[in-house]
Amino acid sequence: MNKKTKAITLNTLAILGFYTLVSIMILTGTLNNYLSNILITVLITIIMTASLNVTTGLLGQLALGHAGFMAIGAYTSALFTKSMAMDFGWSLPLSLVLGGITTALFGMLIGIPALRLQGDYLAIITLGFGEIIRVVIENLSFTGGAAGLTRITRMTRAFSEDRALSSAIQFTIVFFITALIIASIFTLGRSRHGRAIISIRENAIAAEATGIPTTRYKLLAFTIAAFFAGIAGGLFAHQTSILNAKMFGFNKSIEYLVMVVLGGMGSITGSVVASVVLVSLPELLRGMAEYRLIIYSLLLIMMMLFRPAGLLGTREFSMLAFWERLEAVWHRVFRREAKTQMPFQPRYDVWDEKPVLQTHQLGIAFGGLKAAEKINIELMNDEIVGLIGPNGAGKTTVFNLLTGVYAPTEGQVILMGKQVQGKQTHQITVDGIARTFQNIRLFKSMSALDNIKVAFHSRMRYSPLSAIIRDSKCLSEERGIDIRARELLRVFEMEALADVPAGSLPYGMQRKLEICRALASNPKVLLLDEPAAGMNPSETAELMETIKTIRSQFSVAILLIEHDMRLVMGICERIYVLNYGRIIAHGLPEEIRNNPEVITAYLGQEQAQKEAEHAQGT
Amino acid sequence: MNLFLNQLINGLHVGSIYALIALGYTMVYGIVKLINFAHGDILMIGAYTAVVTLVSLNWSAPAALLAAILACVLFGVLIERVAYKPLRKSPRISSLITAIGVSMLLQNTALLIFGAQSRPFPTVLHVAPLRFLGLQVSFITVLTVLVSAALMIILQVFVKASKAGKAMRAASEDYNTAQLMGINVNTTITLTFAIGCALAGIGAYLYVMAYPAVSPTMGSLPGLKAFIAAVLGGIGVIPGAMLGGFVMGIAESLTKAYISTTMSDAVVYGILILVLLVKPTGLIGSLSREKV
Repeated sequence: MNKKTKAITLNTLAILGFYTLVSIMILTGTLNNYLSNILITVLITIIMTASLNVTTGLLGQLALGHAGFMAIGAYTSALFTKSMAMDFGWSLPLSLVLGGITTALFGMLIGIPALRLQGDYLAIITLGFGEIIRVVIENLSFTGGAAGLTRITRMTRAFSEDRALSSAIQFTIVFFITALIIASIFTLGRSRHGRAIISIRENAIAAEATGIPTTRYKLLAFTIAAFFAGIAGGLFAHQTSILNAKMFGFNKSIEYLVMVVLGGMGSITGSVVASVVLVSLPELLRGMAEYRLIIYSLLLIMMMLFRPAGLLGTREFSMLAFWERLEAVWHRVFRREAKTQMPFQPRYDVWDEKPVLQTHQLGIAFGGLKAAEKINIELMNDEIVGLIGPNGAGKTTVFNLLTGVYAPTEGQVILMGKQVQGKQTHQITVDGIARTFQNIRLFKSMSALDNIKVAFHSRMRYSPLSAIIRDSKCLSEERGIDIRARELLRVFEMEALADVPAGSLPYGMQRKLEICRALASNPKVLLLDEPAAGMNPSETAELMETIKTIRSQFSVAILLIEHDMRLVMGICERIYVLNYGRIIAHGLPEEIRNNPEVITAYLGQEQAQKEAEHAQGT
Repeated sequence: MNLFLNQLINGLHVGSIYALIALGYTMVYGIVKLINFAHGDILMIGAYTAVVTLVSLNWSAPAALLAAILACVLFGVLIERVAYKPLRKSPRISSLITAIGVSMLLQNTALLIFGAQSRPFPTVLHVAPLRFLGLQVSFITVLTVLVSAALMIILQVFVKASKAGKAMRAASEDYNTAQLMGINVNTTITLTFAIGCALAGIGAYLYVMAYPAVSPTMGSLPGLKAFIAAVLGGIGVIPGAMLGGFVMGIAESLTKAYISTTMSDAVVYGILILVLLVKPTGLIGSLSREKV
């Protein structure tokens, strides 16, 4: 038995062992009703916290209305079981699914407008929605109004006359639903979808420029979180048997948020641990009821002061390894070992027709200010072209226009014969324009390898559902891009750094990684925004070699902004000069070097004249 | 019509208290980007100080007001130094959770000391209601609106014209640059908390004059509402807090009069959501776009 299978066995045994032990304790009455009820509360809290961690930890958006989602699930589920004349064994699971779906729909409905906002404003708007849900429930008649719902079937009573047996069945249901949800969040988190969601947290602009449809993924994360919260609500309703809108107020949402942060944002196991601790802690302190909440709040403050990143930070406990191993066993047992295939073909036929990228009278005005106008640029296949100009000339603005970060107010961008202006950044990236940024925008806490994998996103096809069950499609695609991403790192001699978080790489490496990531989206045109900024002469020389290698190996056209004239003159075949948002000159490096207008733009009128006189004199 | 005007005046009354509290949120947010969840509980501290000094110690009303302001400032500054300052460089959510912890701590400590039952606040002003245009307006209402308006004007002038005010504005843009210009950022932040809490102290006094019941959790709701008001107006902007407070107060009292008492919260949040969707930075907040 190798180490891996041993670990799987151990973990499986631990989970099943815990389950068996607790079940026996409930059946024999060792774990009385009070304690087993707390246990159920812990499990439901785990679902709530872990699902909130999807929005707050993985997506990085602060949400303050999670209890509202729980309320929707709870009421939907309770109303369903109350009104259906069905055996509880059937109506409960149906009601949970229904509660989950209804909540997910609400999540989507709220998410569509709300996710346009960011940061604290999103937090406030979710707070608002959460409170509205509560108030509306309080004022509707079919939800029982302010009095709430009562006499909802209790899971502890429903399954058997024997209280202990019924209790054990309740535990079984809640335990395995919780385990399933946690596992789904894990597998999803480690798939292309999870990477897309995390990349938004790390740097939304870069995610968009790497081809991630950020709005869709924000909505997906939000909806998934709502779905799970709805299920937790349904379980909660059938645990307590009474529902009251006041149970789902702002304070409840805050409670879950506290757990997410204490466990560590983005760490699902952290959420599990925090839920266990924070639900049982007040119970343990029940002996000193008066000081209970004071101690609790002091611990909270201390915890934040001394471990601001939470218990586990963004790290995960070995559960993760466990699940990976479990599915490995799954594939071994059922011989579903996926064939490793290379699902990626180069997307583009060789583009011989010229030019690959072309702009016509491109321009943008901010209010009355024309930041760029009448920009006409042409880029041939495999060409390296420079875009230079004094500070504030509008160079980065041109990049932003080409990549759809700004929507042009006039003119066209034509990529391989097709107009792309007006499209969203991620669509343009997928169409074939990739870029780097002047101020490096990496997904800092993701590994170098994962940074590149994010850029492969648009070329992968498997769905969130296959990500959750990790079917063969998902596995083969993941295996494929793992190989490709490592190959790419090898080209840049960075394969040894694959697992290092991008944020801890040295500066030069970060620049390289950003280029590497841009290439991973398989562009036809690569835009480099000041690639040599902050580099010393030898690093710059190395960079020049790298850029030439890129052009030949990846067959891309490169347009680069740079102030380092040695680099520009050394590798650019043609140069455009920009000043005050207009192209003032265009030609071969030699022509640009001697163009009087360019010299004036860089040195000013007077200085340029002096230079000219000086040149004549010699 | 009279009902409408009366409700409008009621709305202005509540609204100006919200506005005073909202200023504390907005100033603190403007400079440290922290939603200070404990701010509502500062209000509670002010109210307890006032009731204890007035009733148990038999102080005069102005002395009690002064005591309330001082207590609020003291607590506010203490909380900032002990709980928030060490976290200034941590992720913002850590300080948010700390603020929640501080809020819980204050509430539960008050619960331990004063008990859960609310204490009545004595009548400190015996002035007959004012009459004009056939309306009867309580003196407290007039006083509250005037005091708040005056305080806000003073604050606005202070922030725009004084040296300390400039330091605040500079620090809220960029700590490091402000420091390079010779501004003591720590002192500036402390001053911001102190001013915000002093306003909360005055707000507390005005609040319990209108709603004479003091309890450990009394600060949560007005705190939350004031915070919403700050966001509604545009958080970080002083006139925004004022505008947001008035809009909130008036919307709330009109809903209570014409639609339903229980739905008033939903209407207020609804307005907030609509405003944010149309203008994501609040009524008069300005947009800062991330530069690419």
